[in-house]
Amino acid sequence: MAPTAIAAAGIGTEDFGHALAKRERRFAAALLAPAFLALLATTTFPLMFLIWTSAFRMDLAMPFTNGFVGFENYRVLLTDDRFWSSLLVSLIYTSSTVALQVAIGLALALLVMDMKRGQGWFRLIAILPVVLSPAVVGMIWRTFMLAPEFGIVDFLSINAGLGSQNWLGDPVLAMVSVIAIHTWQWTPFAFMVLLASLASLPEDIYEAARLDRATAWQRFRRITLPLLRPAIVMVIIMRTMVALTAFAAIFTVTAGGPGTATEILNLYAYRKSFTELSIGYGSALAVALLIVTIIISGILFALRRAK
Amino acid sequence: MTSFTPTRRTLLKTGTAAAALATFAPAVLRQAAAQDADLAPYKSAKIDWQQASGETITVAVIPASYFENLIALGPQFKALTGIDVRFEKIPPAQIRQKSVIDLTSKTGTYATHAADPMYYALYAANKWVEPLDTYLNDKSLTDSSWFNFDDIIPAWRSANGIGGKLYGMPYDGEVTIQVYRKDLYDAKGLKPADTLEAYVANAAALNAPNDRIWGAALRGVAGAGQNMYIYPSIFREFGGDWMKGGKLTVNGPEAEAALAWYVDLMKKYAPTAAANWNWPDIADAFSQGTVASYIDAHSSASVINNPQKSKIIGKVAYARWPKGPSGKRTTSIWNWGFPINAALSDKKKKATWLFIQWAASAETQARTAHRFAGPTKRSGVNRTSIWKDPDYIKLMNGFGPNFVEATMQALQDDTDVDWRPRVPQWPAIGDTMATAIQSALSGQATVKAALDEAQRRIEPMMRG
Repeated sequence: MAPTAIAAAGIGTEDFGHALAKRERRFAAALLAPAFLALLATTTFPLMFLIWTSAFRMDLAMPFTNGFVGFENYRVLLTDDRFWSSLLVSLIYTSSTVALQVAIGLALALLVMDMKRGQGWFRLIAILPVVLSPAVVGMIWRTFMLAPEFGIVDFLSINAGLGSQNWLGDPVLAMVSVIAIHTWQWTPFAFMVLLASLASLPEDIYEAARLDRATAWQRFRRITLPLLRPAIVMVIIMRTMVALTAFAAIFTVTAGGPGTATEILNLYAYRKSFTELSIGYGSALAVALLIVTIIISGILFALRRAK
Repeated sequence: MTSFTPTRRTLLKTGTAAAALATFAPAVLRQAAAQDADLAPYKSAKIDWQQASGETITVAVIPASYFENLIALGPQFKALTGIDVRFEKIPPAQIRQKSVIDLTSKTGTYATHAADPMYYALYAANKWVEPLDTYLNDKSLTDSSWFNFDDIIPAWRSANGIGGKLYGMPYDGEVTIQVYRKDLYDAKGLKPADTLEAYVANAAALNAPNDRIWGAALRGVAGAGQNMYIYPSIFREFGGDWMKGGKLTVNGPEAEAALAWYVDLMKKYAPTAAANWNWPDIADAFSQGTVASYIDAHSSASVINNPQKSKIIGKVAYARWPKGPSGKRTTSIWNWGFPINAALSDKKKKATWLFIQWAASAETQARTAHRFAGPTKRSGVNRTSIWKDPDYIKLMNGFGPNFVEATMQALQDDTDVDWRPRVPQWPAIGDTMATAIQSALSGQATVKAALDEAQRRIEPMMRG
């Protein structure tokens, strides 16, 4: 229908091609628009609003002091000990849980690769923690697993001769516990991704290596690891971004305690905004977390491209 | 035209109908009469209960039996006033944030809500809620001789007032008292502690972790309403003053002594897990017979006397707070009150006030307590007169020896308006102190370091 109409109007074929391309672009734009607008409204706008809020003093406890303060919140933030300590806690939390997830995930993947039977079952069971809500995971660990005298972990610890430990009441143990919980929940993700990449590695290289009498360790070190590298880096990037912004599990298990021992940056921002009702400063903390996450992901992506 | 000839069938039909009418009509009439009788005590008030008829208001409460009983009486309120009340139940951990968000956004979602008394300073500073005095003094809205505001427990009234103005009407409240195992105390010849020192000594005498009995337990989990609920009493008993020289002060020698006492008791004589316990956990452990004594809200008595869960029914007795070095006993003045959201229309405000007046009236208080038909009766009524009512006392005495005496005496003599610092910055201060108390308890910081750090953080919060 369209070509005849255009021909009747006496337009040349070249112009016709242009017109068609233009129309297609317009049509594509119209199709994209709703999703794009929804995305703008739900992600970009709140983000801009967050950054905008961070330039204000918005203190519900002292409404008469509210107003535009520019970079004042950020200046305060740089001298705030608790910001730095929560950033440090975030970094320790993230680096240890990601390292553990990759190490354990890879070990499990290698183990399961060689399983002749029951691999499907193993994968099914392994994926279960991932589908649980982090808040539920937190509640389970807090009450069933880690409660002193009553929890399963403590029961095991007593029977192993280590005695009853105050898992969530001791600053160091609490940190270890929340790292263990996050690792427990998310290792299956690393495991599944690495298992899939392992399965896709070409068999002939290994055959050639075996003919050359490469030991198992050599094969792992020189063949498996380099070939898996893209997958491992991808897992590290994804897990780091999630671990940096973790919230629900840690919030339900320790709420940042005891004291501030497990208070990651995210939790500190939440407390400032919603418990202490300093919305402006809380927004500045959230923006700081965003910047940290962007920087770290940037470094990781750069590492991925290198070599 | 056909004349009506009654057949056997029609006769039966009409007969049944008539019989049914004859049997049920009195019942219907009786019910209507009962409803009239039900409302008579309210109608004796010289106000027009129907003046805001047709309005709908939403009330946020926490899922607790004392509010469930009120919700059960909702239809009576509707019959009395023509106002529809929708109750929304929000867990205590979220109700403060939810109501603050509603109040800041000025949407008027909750006409009133169960409010934390510590939040009135914040509410008043932002003018989020209305001073209730205007409503109390308005003759068209309140019959003051019927409502008898002065009958409401004085400590709770002052807890809910800022600068001489009332912002929330107390509905249900509590005091903190000593709860102890009479059998264990008697076996060792111990008496309930009269001083904080003696309390530690009692705990030491009964502490036998190998037999799974610990000497004492206090709230350990961090939170403005958890460890910062029990610590302020100790702080005041050690002679602490939140507003030393007009400046909010949380550190200093009295604070250090108070926190050291708490940490020492918790570390030596409480189960390790108590560091993460709130009051329900303490009450559960006590019900299982693993804790010899605790100091917490008198309302926890209903939990430890629950026949389905408790193993120690009949072995419990009560006493007031032990005295501190300052010679003072300081109980909590906690109560759930109802404020009026300032973002409402005038008519809705009137409807809300009628609801508040109804809920806080002596009649409704009695109907939700000893005169409530259901199994759980309230133990935190807001009326001095009810606390002296023999029926109510009989009910409360079921919780164990000295319950009524200890609670009443605490209400009369041990209350202290400055129990906790009543400033708009309370949410931030409460949280900061909760963190400090927990870091001292967990050994993350020394008592002095934790308090000094809290003071350092609190100072900028107080500056304008």
